[in-house]
Amino acid sequence: MVRHVIPSSYREALVHLRDGSFHIVAGGTDIMLKYRNAADLPPRFERDVLYVLNLDELKYIHVEEGVWRIGALTAYETLLDHPEIPDVFKSAWIDIGGPGLRHVATLAGNIANASPAADGIMPLYLYDAQVVLESCAGSRTLPIDAVITGPKQTAIGPQEMIREIIVPKHDFDVATWVKVGTRKADAISKVSFCGAIKVESGVIKDLRLTLGSVAPTVIRARDLEATVKGITLTALEARLDALLDAYAARIRPIDDQRSTKHYRQQVARNLIEDFLKQQIRKG
Amino acid sequence: MKDISRSVPKEDHEEKVSGRALYVSDIQMADMHYAKTVRADRPHARIRNIRLPELPEGYVVVDHHDIPGANHVNMIFEDWPVFADSVVRHVGEPIMLVCGKDKQIIQSICDEIVIEYEDLEPVFDLQESVVHKSFQKGDAAAAFARADQVVERVYETGYQEQAYIEPQGFVGYLEGEKKVTLIGSIQCPYYVKNAVIKTLACDPEDVRVIQAAVGGAFGGKEEFPSLIGCQLAVAVHKLKKPIKIIYEREEDMIVTTKRHPSKTTMQAALDSAGRVLAIKAHVALDAGAYIGLSGVVLSRAMLAVTSAYTIDHLDVKGDVYLTHTVPNGAFRGFGAPQMIFAIDMFMHHLAKHLGKDPYQFRKAHQAKQGDRTATSGIFRDPILMDAMVEKATSMSDYHRKQKDYASPDVYRGIGMSWFLHGCGFTGSGESDHIKAKVRLRKSDTDHVYVLVAAVDMGQGAKTTLKKVVVETLGVPYNQVTFDDPDTDAVPDSGPTVASRTAMIVGGLLAQAAQTLKETWKRGETQVVEKTYRQPEFVIWDEKTLRGDAYPAYSWGVNIVEVSVSPVTYEVKVEKIWSVYDVGKALDERIVLGQADGGIAQGVAYGYLEVMRHHGGHIQHKNMTDYIIPTAVDMAPTETVIFDNPYALGPYGAKGVGELSLVGGAPAVAMAIEQAIGRPIQKIPATPEMIMELMRDETH
Ligand SMILES: Cc1cc2nc3c(=O)[nH]c(=O)nc-3n(C[C@H](O)[C@H](O)[C@H](O)COP(=O)(O)OP(=O)(O)OC[C@H]3O[C@@H](n4cnc5c(N)ncnc54)[C@H](O)[C@@H]3O)c2cc1C
Repeated sequence: MVRHVIPSSYREALVHLRDGSFHIVAGGTDIMLKYRNAADLPPRFERDVLYVLNLDELKYIHVEEGVWRIGALTAYETLLDHPEIPDVFKSAWIDIGGPGLRHVATLAGNIANASPAADGIMPLYLYDAQVVLESCAGSRTLPIDAVITGPKQTAIGPQEMIREIIVPKHDFDVATWVKVGTRKADAISKVSFCGAIKVESGVIKDLRLTLGSVAPTVIRARDLEATVKGITLTALEARLDALLDAYAARIRPIDDQRSTKHYRQQVARNLIEDFLKQQIRKG
Repeated sequence: MKDISRSVPKEDHEEKVSGRALYVSDIQMADMHYAKTVRADRPHARIRNIRLPELPEGYVVVDHHDIPGANHVNMIFEDWPVFADSVVRHVGEPIMLVCGKDKQIIQSICDEIVIEYEDLEPVFDLQESVVHKSFQKGDAAAAFARADQVVERVYETGYQEQAYIEPQGFVGYLEGEKKVTLIGSIQCPYYVKNAVIKTLACDPEDVRVIQAAVGGAFGGKEEFPSLIGCQLAVAVHKLKKPIKIIYEREEDMIVTTKRHPSKTTMQAALDSAGRVLAIKAHVALDAGAYIGLSGVVLSRAMLAVTSAYTIDHLDVKGDVYLTHTVPNGAFRGFGAPQMIFAIDMFMHHLAKHLGKDPYQFRKAHQAKQGDRTATSGIFRDPILMDAMVEKATSMSDYHRKQKDYASPDVYRGIGMSWFLHGCGFTGSGESDHIKAKVRLRKSDTDHVYVLVAAVDMGQGAKTTLKKVVVETLGVPYNQVTFDDPDTDAVPDSGPTVASRTAMIVGGLLAQAAQTLKETWKRGETQVVEKTYRQPEFVIWDEKTLRGDAYPAYSWGVNIVEVSVSPVTYEVKVEKIWSVYDVGKALDERIVLGQADGGIAQGVAYGYLEVMRHHGGHIQHKNMTDYIIPTAVDMAPTETVIFDNPYALGPYGAKGVGELSLVGGAPAVAMAIEQAIGRPIQKIPATPEMIMELMRDETH
């Protein structure tokens, strides 16, 4: 029989993780589906279960010098209500599920679930967010792309849990989010995209692009981004096709019941092209 | 006189909003047992051997050996087994039920059952025709011989899933020694009863079927529940305990009937002035593994061949093909959505081929009162399409938008469909097969009970039928009761299908109420019954499919405006305008509810709802992968109802339920066609398909 444990403090949760082997349940919107049973029957958990959703200690948004710190158990709807969180985050998060789901589901759950089609994490890649993992032995801070190592795979140790997410502030001129899910709510992304740019006197200071659902993990090609930093938008226009081809070579979409490889490839390319052309047009 | 159309609170409103309504899963009984279905996991195979684990006390398996009567579900074609015996013909075909008290133990037994198969070659192409039908009007051969040119197009449609909220389910138990009672989520109590009688080989009084609150049906609970009902009845007899069976969502989506995929070939003979002289059409339906109702679905598709147009010469053929896939069946529209997509697109494409304005071209072929129908019957009643089209085009600003959206870089489009829907069963179906009977019983306290087998599955039948009785009698609402049907209490007024309930059952109830009113004796028990009689003018030959296919037709116009993203190829439906002639709305809000729901389902059929199988395995088997529109996807709607009372309908009412679905797909497809500047001949028009069209990649 699996044990169901509801810790009364974060510290207690970490002690349980040290002493046992647990499934962590935050909002439960991924994990309850993963282990679901036939209707009316309890889930088929493989290990003991640690329910952390009630730990108010991990529900916070701290605005600090240069960064936001987001407590691991803060629900999306709380994040959406916060006045200072940038729009690109909010537009991605409001596309997750429906209102009921967003009142319990968490960003930490989205990270730890490590789905190739996850939406919540996309702007974290754009902003170079960091994830604080903690166990009784101490804490470590890893960049988001070091936490998610593959589809359904993370660097989170069995005794660790996500404590918080640190998001550095940026003053991009534009930061956008596009979800291609075919319907407008309760849809799993076929392709998703974030783009951000900072231009000074026609010269690109910073350009960041992320693509979701087209590879085992979110794509952010820092090396390709580096090739356009410091060049003018006019120069970018001349290199656009080459850049698009370089991105196309990076993405490895699949055929599944939701869409085709071909569609995902083409739309990913279109999204980058559309974003960059808009910036070029603006000059 | 008070206008019948004025809305009243829905009869089932209170119980549903309060949560008091009892759906199958809410029904509790002492000593309740449960059943789970063991199913084939392959499309075509011979069962070599079945190895069962040791069954704990109180657990049984039930299979074809336990059937005392016929091992097929009583339908028009008797080819659909209750339990597979030696051969399975589709993935998910039921082989046995495992029944007992504890669901987890039942689940473990199911997991341990080993079935050895010998795989047989599955067929997925439309090769094996099992039903062929044809009819003629005029002399199509001669018209084709003298044609100036012949144009051919092929139209294809995919699966559609009913996606009712509540999955299929029943509770069954014994009353006394041998009488089995089934409470189910069903549209047709007497279909279930008659099927169970054949399977049990028992007397009619030994089967009782009661309707539970139904959480949506859309045709999916027309014939399919008979299968579950038969299985459960056999199980109840074997176990002699109350048993509940409720499908899981995925199970429901994998094994229950869907809208038939279709392929329709249209040929037109055109004269030198660009008029359609004749049409040759062939419609092919994929029935899946068993014929079931497919032959009737085929008829309805063929009869809709010219929809709201009059063409003098027709040569219409159709075939039903068997494949090793899930059996397809009834779904709101019943063959008409496939054909109306084909004919309306074809008329549009013919006009474009001829370089003519599609609107004028369609106008020139529009059906008028007195014209001969596709089956050489007569459109007897007034047809208001001129005024309806005028209303629809003006409220949507159709003509201006049609011009403005013609340029390729706006990625916007507007599309319009015209259509009709025949009300009630085809031809002499009502008088030969259904023979509907209704009853009103008045108690000695002068309380009136409406006794019919019509099911309220959310569409409002309880409200409108009761309203007909209340208004005719001129009594207060609380003096009339309409309980969910129970075959021990109500006569067989027919199935709740085919847009027949308001018109046929409502018509009979209006007559019964009139008689009761005229013979009303205070303080006395009275019973009035009425049985359906075919209107004398209806002449129909089932063999040649000639004559009046329906006593009356409802008519409609849908206009849909879309924008298409050239970046993601996604379609956004911007707005939907509809105009309907349903005779007379028995309740305006209910008709508008049907209008909004129907058009949502019809438009989504055209661009959103994708279901495919791969090697006979359904790929879109949950609500995450099978995309139906959510509230945020649904465009604003504007709907206008025209009055055009039908002499034989109650207060002039005709059919409503299917009309609002059948025109959605061609309207949205035409809008997408305009937005992307490429013809659409296949639905759903998915972003993947739109991409290939826009990039001229289609093969
Ligand atoms: C109807 C529906 C719609 C959805 N729509 C979307 C959508 O549009 N986009 C999208 O991206 N996702 C969607 N999801 C998936 C899901 O809601 C999100 O991934 C959500 O962010 C998960 O958060 P949670 O708190 O519910 O995670 P849980 O299910 O509680 O946990 C998920 C995983 O993370 C682990 N975990 C949770 N918290 C921690 C922690 N603090 N430390 C370490 N491990 C932890 C759990 O052990 C588990 O493995 C949807 C789900 C449903 C049911």
